[in-house]
Amino acid sequence: MTDSSNQPTASRRKFLTAAGSTAVTALVAGCSSNSDSNSTEAATGTSPEATTSEQTESGPPEEFQVTITQGTMPTTLDPHDHRDIPTDITMLQSYEGLLSRTAEGEITAMLATDWERVEAGHVRFSIREGPTFHKTGNEVTPEDVAYTINRIVDDSVGFTSPQSGQLAGVTGAEVADDGRAVDVYSDGFNPIVFSEFAIYCDVVEKAWVKDHEKSYVAQNMNGTGPFEQTEYAQNQSVEFERYDDYWREPADVSHLTIESASDSGVRVNQLVAGETDLVVNVPPESFSRVEDSEASVEAVGSTRVIYNAMKATVEPFSSPKFRRAMNYAIDLEAIIDSALQGAGGQTGQPTLEPFFGYNDEADPYPHDPDEAERLVEESGHAGVSIELHTPVGRYLKDLQIARLVANMIDELPNVSCEVNQRTFSTLAGELTDSDITTGPDFYLIGWGNATFDASQTINPTLTSDGSLTSWKNDELDQLIEDANSTTDTDEREQLLREANQLCHDEAPWIFLNRQYSVYGTSDRIEWAARNDERIDAYAISPAQ
Amino acid sequence: MGYARFLAKRGLQGVFVVWAVVTVVFALRYITPGSPVAFIAPLDAGPELRQAIAESYGLNQPLYVQYGQYLWDLARLDMGQSYARGTSVSAEVFAALPVSLELAVASTVVAIIISIPLGVVSAVNHRQPSDYVATSLSLVGISTPNFWLGVMLVLLLSVQFNVFPTSGLAEIDGQTVMFVDALRHLLQGETRWMVEWLAHITLPAVTLGTYFTALVTRLTRSGMLEELGESYVTALRAKGLPEALVRYRHVLKNTLIPVITVLGLQLGTLVGGAVITERVFDLPGLGSLLIDAINQQQWMILQGCLIVVSAGFVIVNTTVDALYAYVSPEVSAE
Repeated sequence: MTDSSNQPTASRRKFLTAAGSTAVTALVAGCSSNSDSNSTEAATGTSPEATTSEQTESGPPEEFQVTITQGTMPTTLDPHDHRDIPTDITMLQSYEGLLSRTAEGEITAMLATDWERVEAGHVRFSIREGPTFHKTGNEVTPEDVAYTINRIVDDSVGFTSPQSGQLAGVTGAEVADDGRAVDVYSDGFNPIVFSEFAIYCDVVEKAWVKDHEKSYVAQNMNGTGPFEQTEYAQNQSVEFERYDDYWREPADVSHLTIESASDSGVRVNQLVAGETDLVVNVPPESFSRVEDSEASVEAVGSTRVIYNAMKATVEPFSSPKFRRAMNYAIDLEAIIDSALQGAGGQTGQPTLEPFFGYNDEADPYPHDPDEAERLVEESGHAGVSIELHTPVGRYLKDLQIARLVANMIDELPNVSCEVNQRTFSTLAGELTDSDITTGPDFYLIGWGNATFDASQTINPTLTSDGSLTSWKNDELDQLIEDANSTTDTDEREQLLREANQLCHDEAPWIFLNRQYSVYGTSDRIEWAARNDERIDAYAISPAQ
Repeated sequence: MGYARFLAKRGLQGVFVVWAVVTVVFALRYITPGSPVAFIAPLDAGPELRQAIAESYGLNQPLYVQYGQYLWDLARLDMGQSYARGTSVSAEVFAALPVSLELAVASTVVAIIISIPLGVVSAVNHRQPSDYVATSLSLVGISTPNFWLGVMLVLLLSVQFNVFPTSGLAEIDGQTVMFVDALRHLLQGETRWMVEWLAHITLPAVTLGTYFTALVTRLTRSGMLEELGESYVTALRAKGLPEALVRYRHVLKNTLIPVITVLGLQLGTLVGGAVITERVFDLPGLGSLLIDAINQQQWMILQGCLIVVSAGFVIVNTTVDALYAYVSPEVSAE
């Protein structure tokens, strides 16, 4: 917090509750994650000039049709009735929130021009004048914004929104006295309230929503964004036209189609045959096929880290030496090269770069089988047999990664290791029953972190009362508790850096790869992939 | 047995079959590890949220209560709601059904058009070059796995030469084009819709129909050969009947009984069983729906699919039996 020295200290519990549920978003589908953020969130902000995509001097091209193919179709077109990334990507073409994030992760203005913290639990957004709704042509009003927020957080307005947890802590909103602003109230301090509004809160038109059946709102979009939705065939496609009265420069793309194909091979075929311009999740084995055609592969680090948890309450994993040995035993570079064709980053701590609290001194463990063998001897567990549980098909190449890890450990003369394939739901069921004694001792899993803040990875997965924890370490618990209760940004960052160093040294995980988002893009478009898995068609322009 | 009694008996049998399927699926829930809640809930959801989710879908109830409730809803033609998405199971299933039906019928048509003439040619020209060509072709067809064939057809004809689209349903102006739409527009003199529909259905139909073509060719050939050796054929020829009439009016008709049986059974299988072809061509049919439901532990959708598939089987089998009665009257006399 930049100017929060006078603010009351958020209690740890409240912070965890609020922030935890924001981070959750990333995990629902195993293939999703959310808007990035950093926790150096400003308590106030002004940014009347929102960033726009590159626009040519002469204005947008007349005719520029683009097709995007995702893995699944949106489940609904109601912007407040979903929690998955493919639906989100569809929404953001047409609907806009108060705040957003740039590709670099900075909070930026959308339908709000200013945002400020009035007092603990009370923030105020000034609403932009000018943006209009596609279907009615009416200008967006503070009343629409207040209704939108209440539609999400208040069950008595319309329905129970699955996004209510995403605006955690927010209790309601009302039009402010001056008539051009909206006051938003929260339970307690709510330190991450602006981060939340940068992810969720697509503004709808109050009268339009109230005038129509819920099923109509679920099949038609009426936003203020760069594209107006024109057609919707459920499970088939959504079509958009460029909105010429958009409040920023009109988009380059004149006609946008969003389709889906669940099979990655089908998506690659469509791209190579020129039927689509942008596809998600190109599998590593298809990289060369895409590159050989009139398209290319675009890979960018996602917010998800893949790791092997070692339950520290049972032998042999209770020994830090043994856990370190497991990290020395694997050749992470080789794993990423062979299983992922290089599309992955090496990690040596729970936190990814450039998250808040990342420690640039905690490097990945080198591959050193001799050191691994020696440490196993020293730990007193030589000759032990271990079993690595892995889900199949949940994360990119999860089974292949687990097999490579197990083989490399098995090659140590004093440890033998096997892979146990599991269905994700059974594995997850055992891990998330809030009982550390159930579930496997050694398992592969992934963790996505929506907030770009180290605490939201370490809290749930490594602290003693984390819902998914495999470790009990008093020093770490203390570091995280201190970090979550300080209002001094620098001190907080230092504490989180120490926590990451501790995790590196004590090695509660075998640190594996950062998962990449891999896209295939046609050579006729220009577009840069983002860390937060958003595909913003407004940022697509014709290739020069 | 009267025709009405026959139908009533078959109808009751059908209800019994569907009930048995539902019951078996419910029993399977006992032995299937994992709970749908693990899929619906976020990984770090607390026990309270899990409990709330289980309650909202009735998953915390004992299985016999869920079973009773489901049967009761089913009796009122309500197949329930999917988990998490909250969509109506009937809507999902009945949106997928026409896609699978079109594919099944189209591939059967492909099979019939190719295989019956091929079988006849092969039998009539027994042990001549055309017979060898036909039997070799059917051998190749029967031994080509259709997932491989599908992928190869797409790579060659769609990706390489751009003759057909790679995947998906036909679409014009954002509207999905099904056969009925295409036909309606064709009758109004607009050919574009039918062309588009044909372009999209051809590769999947050929992929799925090939195995089938081979099978039916061989059946027709052996059936014809057997019938041609019968004494009634000699009698017909002695009577001076033209050879064409002998072959097609009498011999082929008698050969068709096993062919219709196989076609009927296959059609039933195809409706729910064209999983691989639907995947390769990304067709949102019942097979795709079924696989997704299994992967995501969407029991309600799984049940909905199985009910429709089993009902489909019953209907197809009953129709096949009715056709028997036409082709061979002594069947209905049993």
